[in-house]
Amino acid sequence: MLFELKGVTKSYGKIKALRDLNVSMPEGAIGLLGPNGAGKTTMIRTLLGLISIDAGEGEVLGMNIRSRRLDIRQAVGFVPEDECLFPSVEGVEFVAYSGELGGMRTKDAMQRAHEVLDYVGLGEARYRKVESYSTGMKQRLKIASAIVHDPRMLILDEPTNGMDPAGRIEVLELARDLAHRKGMSLLFSSHLLPDVEAVCDHVMVLGGGKLLASGVIEDLKRTVGRQFEVRVKTDANRFAGQLAGAGLSVQSKDDVLLVDLPEGRETSVLWEAARASGEQIRLLRPRQSSLEEVFLDAISSDRA
Amino acid sequence: MPIFDQGYQHWDGTLSGHAWRWLAISHRGVRTQLKNRWTRMALLLAWLPALALGMFLALWGLLEQKTDDWKGLFTFLPAVVLLDPKAFRAEIWSLAFSWFLIAETYAAMILVVIVGPNLISQDLRFNAMPLYLSRPLTRFDYFAGKLGTIAAFLAAVILIPAVLTYVLGVGFSLSFKVIADTYRIVPACLAYGAVVVLVAGLFMLAISSLSKNSRYVAAIWIGLWLVGSTAAGVLADPNTLAIKWGPIVSLTNNLRRVQEVLLGTGEAFESIREAGEQAMSPFGRRSFGRSFGRRHADPAMKYNPFAQDYPWQWSAYVLSGLVVLSLCILTTRVKSLDRLR
Repeated sequence: MLFELKGVTKSYGKIKALRDLNVSMPEGAIGLLGPNGAGKTTMIRTLLGLISIDAGEGEVLGMNIRSRRLDIRQAVGFVPEDECLFPSVEGVEFVAYSGELGGMRTKDAMQRAHEVLDYVGLGEARYRKVESYSTGMKQRLKIASAIVHDPRMLILDEPTNGMDPAGRIEVLELARDLAHRKGMSLLFSSHLLPDVEAVCDHVMVLGGGKLLASGVIEDLKRTVGRQFEVRVKTDANRFAGQLAGAGLSVQSKDDVLLVDLPEGRETSVLWEAARASGEQIRLLRPRQSSLEEVFLDAISSDRA
Repeated sequence: MPIFDQGYQHWDGTLSGHAWRWLAISHRGVRTQLKNRWTRMALLLAWLPALALGMFLALWGLLEQKTDDWKGLFTFLPAVVLLDPKAFRAEIWSLAFSWFLIAETYAAMILVVIVGPNLISQDLRFNAMPLYLSRPLTRFDYFAGKLGTIAAFLAAVILIPAVLTYVLGVGFSLSFKVIADTYRIVPACLAYGAVVVLVAGLFMLAISSLSKNSRYVAAIWIGLWLVGSTAAGVLADPNTLAIKWGPIVSLTNNLRRVQEVLLGTGEAFESIREAGEQAMSPFGRRSFGRSFGRRHADPAMKYNPFAQDYPWQWSAYVLSGLVVLSLCILTTRVKSLDRLR
């Protein structure tokens, strides 16, 4: 088990950030979703043992969040959302310092800093002052400093915020590689659902300090009624017209057609329409809801 | 090339114990500060009093060996002291170290204002607290690490020179009896160094946590130091207000008062002065101490620059209060991440 929280409640004055939160997540890449004020950051701080909770219990990597705070922080790397780099420090020096703070010897920390900077793709920039780094480089530097002591779990708080598309892809690839090839568990907090989908296997949705949904992403994306995704080889518009003529409801989305089959009619009607129009069907599958729909459903059911 | 092509290796090296994590913060702080030209210059200047003390103790050692070549340098002392220098060794050493520590206290104030302002204010300015507090470190480790940076520099100008000059003095005295006579000095210097580190270091850290701008921090420190010293001078002036507790509004006065108690300099000075009054000093009837020119409210203590009108405990209370105030400010200003952005 990566972490488990039981009945965790945390209030800031009159505001309840976490309300009797019960959640249990397995090892792997976990996406943490929720609107602003959902309690994501409070949950991360609770997991790191940075705040005292009002009620409840919990464990991270088998360690109690109340009694083994420092052990948890030793085993967990944290990449904060905010920029936290002080100037006039070389990249390699910054990462080595992070290692030293984690208890590594100076020499080990420096050697390890070189290794992780190579890994995150900052090998060429290691001797540059951190203030000269781009946003993407700074983000990768923060990741390097969080993994320098080889944690078992890495928490990334909004890691792609404010990044250009290229930098964003690099960070996502890095996170995915760590989670899927290097055996490091991930808690990936983000507002950007495609980012979570690109990196994570599991997801948990928080809202109003409560758990609204959690599970394997593929399981959560359920089949939507009798709607099918169809892609054809040449002219999608002509094929859509053919289906409409057969009494089917058709919507166009990107390069696929979303076709609703009424009760009593099977997919054979699609093949017949293709034959009639001389078109080749290249893709035919039941449509699943997107993560965005899962997220919105969870939020709206909470509001209801 | 994908950015992760270089591969990632797991690390299974040895970690240091938690008790020494703060040392990494101090270590980095010292390395960073030593890159500052002003810090290096202040350090060099701060070692000048140590050089003077070392020379004085060496010459005193020669004087004890009845080497008359340097006797002319000690004419400010009563003749009776010069006739039997070994009899006044403990007093002279106490006074010499006291003057050294007074000089080094001012050097320490300047070093603190160069080294200290950035220590916490920079972390607040660049939102670097998560760097520390999301690691296996407590707030105590953070404060200890930052204080350790100041302590390292103050030790370099107070403790290390004091110990080295003491060893030098013992060497030039050519007698181990000197250790029995002056055993109090090294512990007193160590204790005084600890007091300066604790009071000045924590106070500077507290001020540093009050602003994200290190220039304001430096200005507050200098302002408090100068205003305190000036106010103390005005309040305690026997010709004007002559307020007994006047000196305790100055940080350096309080430190000096504690230092004089630790080294017993008041008694040492009186001992030499009384010996000088019983015998004639080399300069006619002028008493030892008049040359220092300190005015004093109590006529009996008129020429003792180490005599004070108020009990040393008052200074100890002020310094203790300052430490408590600093700790309150630090714990309030530097919260864990739940109070940060």
